[in-house]
Amino acid sequence: MRHRRYIFAVLILVLLGGAIAPRSRAGSEPSQEYKLKAAFLYNFLKFVDWSKEKMGDANEPITLGIIGKDPFGQAFEPVKDKDVKDKKVVLKRLKGFEELKTSSAGDERQMQKYIETLRKCHLLFVCASESKSLKEILKHVKDQPVLTVGEMPGFLEAGGIMNFLMEDNKVRFEVNAATAKHAKLKIRSQLLRLAKRVIEEKATSKSDNK
Amino acid sequence: MYADDTDYGARRIRPFLGGAIMVTSNLFSIKRLVYLLMFLAVLGSWSQALGAPAEPNKAADLFEMSIEQLMEVEVISASRQAQKIGELSVPVSVITADDIHYSGLTSIPEILQFAPGVDVIRLSRERYAVGVRGLHDLISDRTLALINGRSAESPLFGGSEFYRYPVLLEDIERIEVVRGPGGAAWGANAFTGVINIITKKPEDVLGGFVSTNIDEFGDSYTHLRYAEKNRKWSWRTSVGYSDYESSDEAGAGRYVSGNQTLTGNPLLGMGFNDFSARDYFRSFLFSGEAFYNYSENTVISFGTDYSHNVLGSYEFLGYYPSGNGWHETVRSYAKLDHQFDDGSSGYLQWFGNFGNSWVPCLMKWSTMQNDIEGQYNFKVGDSHDVSVGGNLRFIRISTETRNPSDLIYSGEPYDEQLAGMFLIDRWHATDRLTFESQIRSDWYSETQTDWSTRLSALYALDDPKDHTLRFSFAKAYRSPLANLRETSTNRLSLAGMGFPGFWAINAMAPSDLENEETWALEAGYTGRLTDSLTLRADTYYQRFTKLIGYRIIPDPLPLGRSFYRPDNIDGADSWGTELELAVERKTGRLSAWYAYNDFQEDISHQMIRSYAPAQHKVGLTGRLFLDDGWTLNANYRYAGTTPVVGDTTIFDVGASHRLDLAVAKKFAEGRGELMIGVSDVFNKTNGPNFGIGEVTAHETPGRTFFVAMQLRF
Repeated sequence: MRHRRYIFAVLILVLLGGAIAPRSRAGSEPSQEYKLKAAFLYNFLKFVDWSKEKMGDANEPITLGIIGKDPFGQAFEPVKDKDVKDKKVVLKRLKGFEELKTSSAGDERQMQKYIETLRKCHLLFVCASESKSLKEILKHVKDQPVLTVGEMPGFLEAGGIMNFLMEDNKVRFEVNAATAKHAKLKIRSQLLRLAKRVIEEKATSKSDNK
Repeated sequence: MYADDTDYGARRIRPFLGGAIMVTSNLFSIKRLVYLLMFLAVLGSWSQALGAPAEPNKAADLFEMSIEQLMEVEVISASRQAQKIGELSVPVSVITADDIHYSGLTSIPEILQFAPGVDVIRLSRERYAVGVRGLHDLISDRTLALINGRSAESPLFGGSEFYRYPVLLEDIERIEVVRGPGGAAWGANAFTGVINIITKKPEDVLGGFVSTNIDEFGDSYTHLRYAEKNRKWSWRTSVGYSDYESSDEAGAGRYVSGNQTLTGNPLLGMGFNDFSARDYFRSFLFSGEAFYNYSENTVISFGTDYSHNVLGSYEFLGYYPSGNGWHETVRSYAKLDHQFDDGSSGYLQWFGNFGNSWVPCLMKWSTMQNDIEGQYNFKVGDSHDVSVGGNLRFIRISTETRNPSDLIYSGEPYDEQLAGMFLIDRWHATDRLTFESQIRSDWYSETQTDWSTRLSALYALDDPKDHTLRFSFAKAYRSPLANLRETSTNRLSLAGMGFPGFWAINAMAPSDLENEETWALEAGYTGRLTDSLTLRADTYYQRFTKLIGYRIIPDPLPLGRSFYRPDNIDGADSWGTELELAVERKTGRLSAWYAYNDFQEDISHQMIRSYAPAQHKVGLTGRLFLDDGWTLNANYRYAGTTPVVGDTTIFDVGASHRLDLAVAKKFAEGRGELMIGVSDVFNKTNGPNFGIGEVTAHETPGRTFFVAMQLRF
């Protein structure tokens, strides 16, 4: 019987060796959750209105920024062929905030350019990897017409506008309408009524749409 | 068959590896071959359907959906799992409500046998030996049973008592099976694993529901439920009745003892040759639960469940009195959940489990457990998720002997106390690397203070955390409960042979017992290979020490009597692997698993109160949702020989194949469903199987045709 344990140890190693194999393909294939969230973001663009100044002329695209470690992979591929509000949607992937600070090594110009890029986005998805830098990121787009969307607890309280939640295996979202108003964004009622939670103008008057 | 889930994360299913290795030449009788071909044909059609290009959640399709439609898309195989897979610190399989429903089965142990790594042996119509990775018996005190996270183990015997739980099957949301030592997170005595039954919330089952299942032997299982929700309240109440006819009445075959060692033995008129299988079991069940949303952040919930069982008498340790037995069980709880403004959360809970029983071959007894517990979850910095908690439990056990051969508990009633504290820290060291530390310490008034731990490192191989490696060390223990510490009994009087006051079987109370101890090293991989294909592989080495068994003491007189005394007599090694593979589409589900669970005692032939695990186990499940409301379901399971450890008076349980088939058709716009099916098509799980201390095993019904109907209104 004892020799079986050695066989078994080898099995463990083989098993773990095999487990490493899928690494090469993993990065490009988004999870089903993020395919779904990508579709949500696409829909958010339809139900949020930006000012004419922000929208620019007809040739200017809508910019969807993703800051941090991007979990979407190729999930936005179908958007290439679609228009929103008669505009093309372009995807802009941005370095994580901490990563930028490290790589820019105090280069103010680089940092400023980065912040301008953030502010140019119509929708900015803040990846979970940015939880440590969340307040700093949101500080730079505060009161700017940027629809910030996150997927972490406390995102709305930190100054974010929309936040994804999971409930019973389904994607839900919550909205800070007060922050949206300060950002001069108009979130349509069709979207608000579907939100799990809406924070209105006064911080104390929270409503639960459930 | 087993989708992953949530509270623990969980993963799913298992491949048909090596099934052919286990197939013996006997399998290829014409009849079996026909069954096999039929099964393969059905699977073939499933494969085709599952391979069809209809991927409802394909990215391009999702972009065509409205937000309302998107909100209805379930992401079981992605989000929850993709996130949770990376968070799993234990191997967990989840039996879902669909798995339970489409199996057509009416008892929890029957359903559990289709979970990887779970050993299930039917001893009679209602009594099963159930264990995770073996070490199971009629009294399986090494696997911890929970209902909604609350202890469901007998404070007298330990372990699970599935037959008396006041839980209706259609009220079960899922059953989580944790493999390996789980004491640190789940509470004391989670020695080889945990089986946690989670019930449905009222808001998930609003309205009325009636369901009934009858089979060819006259068994029935009926369930009525009503659930409602208004602004702040939601509540659910169920009543049910189940009736298992005795094996005799079911006409299953030979009903004399199958134990050749003892059948016909002149030993003192035990009557084995006349033994009849009066193993009927009838249950009345009630379950009620309510939730009150006191505020946005505070929920109060409470519930009471009740069961009353009547059972036929059976033999135990050579004692077979006639008459009927009964159990009464009440489980109640009240819980306050609160989410604090700073994002932390917690709960306070009381639960009470109360039982009264009378079993003619044992004795009359009653138990009371009152438990108060609390838990607080908070963040430390940005990267630590911490939970702290503890519980106090007060137990009272009373027994009553009614005749000289009853189990005798000296000095009863027993008042016992248990206090436990735990700390769980989940440290997200990097985006991909997480360390989880669980530690728990328990003080038990009757034995000693002991501790459990689980230390895990989880490493995601990719950013979406679709592929995760896990390495764990775990330690747990099992305290001996009153049944081991205090009981003595004398069975089979020798008065008839001229020795009044002498007994053939003499079980003595021990002078002292220590906790059984175990530790384990584990490694695992969880991966989502495509949107619909998932793989889980877990492997382990587990070391047991101080296992409690029965030490045989020589008869001081040359009378050939048997003397037994519980003692910490043995150690053992256990090792193995479980592989689960699943394909899930909107059109159906195909899953397969293989479990290799090996076990080796340090000292041969020690009676450690259990079976070893079946070394090889295989499971295969297919479910196909067709147009017009038709559903086909098939469950297959192979279990290799299950060796009994140490006891020479009972026998190993032979290898068996089991195949269950069911067809369901919805009607009345999905509000009604009719199901017909057959369980154990091969008719190979009908025994007789011998439990420790139960030598008059008999056959039970195997192949069973059933019909079930349900309506929602």
